[in-house]
Amino acid sequence: MFINYEHENHVYNVSIERSENQFFITYNNTEYKVEAEEIKLGQLKIKIGDRLIKSVITEGGKEKFVFVDGEVFKVRPIELTGMKKTKKKEEGDLCSPISGKVVNVKVENGDSVKKGDILMIIEAMKMEYLIRAPFNGKVEKVNFKEKDQIEIGQKTVELAKSKEG
Amino acid sequence: MFKKILVANRGEIAVRIIKACQEIGIKTVAIYSKVDKAAPHVQLADETINLGDPTPVESYLNIPKIIKIAQDIGAEAIHPGYGFLAENPDFAQSCNDVNVKFIGPSPKVISLMGDKIAAKKTMEKAMVPVIPGYHGVEQDNAALVKEGKKIGFPLLVKAAAGGGGKGMRLVRSENLLEESIEGAKRESKSAFGDDTVFLEKYLDKPRHIEFQILADEHGNVIHLFERECSIQRRHQKIIEETPSPVMTPQLREKMGNAAVAAAKAVGYTNAGTVEFMVDGDLNFYFMEMNTRLQVEHPITEMTTGIDLVKWQLRIASGMKLSLKQKDLTQRGHAIECRIYAEDPSNGFLPSIGTLEKVEAPTGPNIRDDSGIYSGMKVTPYYDPMLAKLIAYAENREESINKMIWALSHYVVMGVTTNISFLKTLLKHQEFIKGNITTHFIDDYFKDWTVTKKGLPIDAIIALAVYDSIHSKKQEIVRYKETDPHSPWKHVGRWRVGGKGV
Repeated sequence: MFINYEHENHVYNVSIERSENQFFITYNNTEYKVEAEEIKLGQLKIKIGDRLIKSVITEGGKEKFVFVDGEVFKVRPIELTGMKKTKKKEEGDLCSPISGKVVNVKVENGDSVKKGDILMIIEAMKMEYLIRAPFNGKVEKVNFKEKDQIEIGQKTVELAKSKEG
Repeated sequence: MFKKILVANRGEIAVRIIKACQEIGIKTVAIYSKVDKAAPHVQLADETINLGDPTPVESYLNIPKIIKIAQDIGAEAIHPGYGFLAENPDFAQSCNDVNVKFIGPSPKVISLMGDKIAAKKTMEKAMVPVIPGYHGVEQDNAALVKEGKKIGFPLLVKAAAGGGGKGMRLVRSENLLEESIEGAKRESKSAFGDDTVFLEKYLDKPRHIEFQILADEHGNVIHLFERECSIQRRHQKIIEETPSPVMTPQLREKMGNAAVAAAKAVGYTNAGTVEFMVDGDLNFYFMEMNTRLQVEHPITEMTTGIDLVKWQLRIASGMKLSLKQKDLTQRGHAIECRIYAEDPSNGFLPSIGTLEKVEAPTGPNIRDDSGIYSGMKVTPYYDPMLAKLIAYAENREESINKMIWALSHYVVMGVTTNISFLKTLLKHQEFIKGNITTHFIDDYFKDWTVTKKGLPIDAIIALAVYDSIHSKKQEIVRYKETDPHSPWKHVGRWRVGGKGV
């Protein structure tokens, strides 16, 4: 999972994978392997090597608050699998969630796709991110080809929604 | 003792008073404005009355409304707390008029102490040292210069009608006195239409040290030692402690006696505080008397073991002080920090919003006098003070350390607070040495802002773990290393904080 956290006008790109109570967090080209448990809602005990991080997290509106080491930080998570806030949810988000390289283009102009079909695969930081069709439709234009560099927020594919939807 | 009292306040102080009443079997009536309907003081009280409109003049400052409630509900007394109506002589008089006991001194004493010049004159008569000055009617330059020389330098020339620094001159030497007087007069005339000026000795970087007193209605007055309240931001105290780092037994006795004399001079009753300014040579001068319970009263309670609110109730019900001055002792050291909903990175402007989560620290000798809870909305209607944290230990150093620990474990999320600023103050070398004056924050933290260091890695990890646990999305797959030349294949997986897989 990729998540962008916005804090004081700076965006932190973080990716995370989970296997039971082990978490692999990648930030700034470094992977942190931690063991963690949520003792009670929002209260985390995280073991990183022989160090312990104790943190309290709470959500309020669009923000998350993290209490760690006596300080409170306010962040605004931008979930990359989520939709742009200005767009209606059913329109989906065909923009690249991350700056990376296009490793696979699954569709061509004129293709009909079903909701959930993979349209493009983008790779960054050893992770693959799958762009899926948010609805049934017809591909009008594929904006990138394999091995292209793609920047965060660039539209991957122009997709026209099918009438039967 | 009273059977039922009304608490004419809100927030932590209303909670504090209600708890004291409940411990000694007095029924309590809380009043609240509609934004406070779920506030802790309302939850705790035995009876509650809605005042409606949250604007202070329509709620906690509305004398006729509050008096009527007290009568209707059969409250025998009203505790005003601090702020709001606590030092309003009309309110105390209105209580007297309807035979509801006002828990505090008489309206006459409140009025007298509210008039700063009259208070000073009364104190001078009672042989309590006041800041040397001239407040007379002689206003020609020659007479003023003569009075100025008597006072000595540096001195302040102040406009009688003044305010906001207009018509004020700081004069450091005699040869500048006359032109400063003229300047202050001119400025005062144009700003206020009045050119009457005062002269007052200027204290360079004084300390603010105050004495707690208790006076019953039978002529007994005692003091409960000092509180050092020099750490102020724009005249607002934020850290208080007792004992004062500069106090000596001799000075304590002299100042304590002066405080008791001050209270006796005006026929003071109930709990009160005599505030002094103390200069670098430990000369002290009467500044003013606060005719109410102080915000910082808990540090006195911690070091003396005396419950000031319970004594307020006992004294108001006519009981005699059973405490004798010679039996009182102070033990250990207590510090209080005021936690405000203020944003230090935004000019200390009050911050409002929802307190998404509040968790107060607990531990031996840590006291949290609070009026907040998780989910509470902080509104712009009232004072931004959320809570007071008090730490008590054997000595000053341990007390500071305990306070830093407690602040570091105080979780307040959703509304920005001054907690990090308080910690920074407590860790300052001059604070640790006890070298504090009322100019401390101006001297060392004038342009202080929160250093924007960004998100620490621990916060990023915690957030990622939290989101991973709470997310239902499964869009990402582990990269398949199909590229035979991938450098990752050869270096393996570099990991921080753990063995690779």
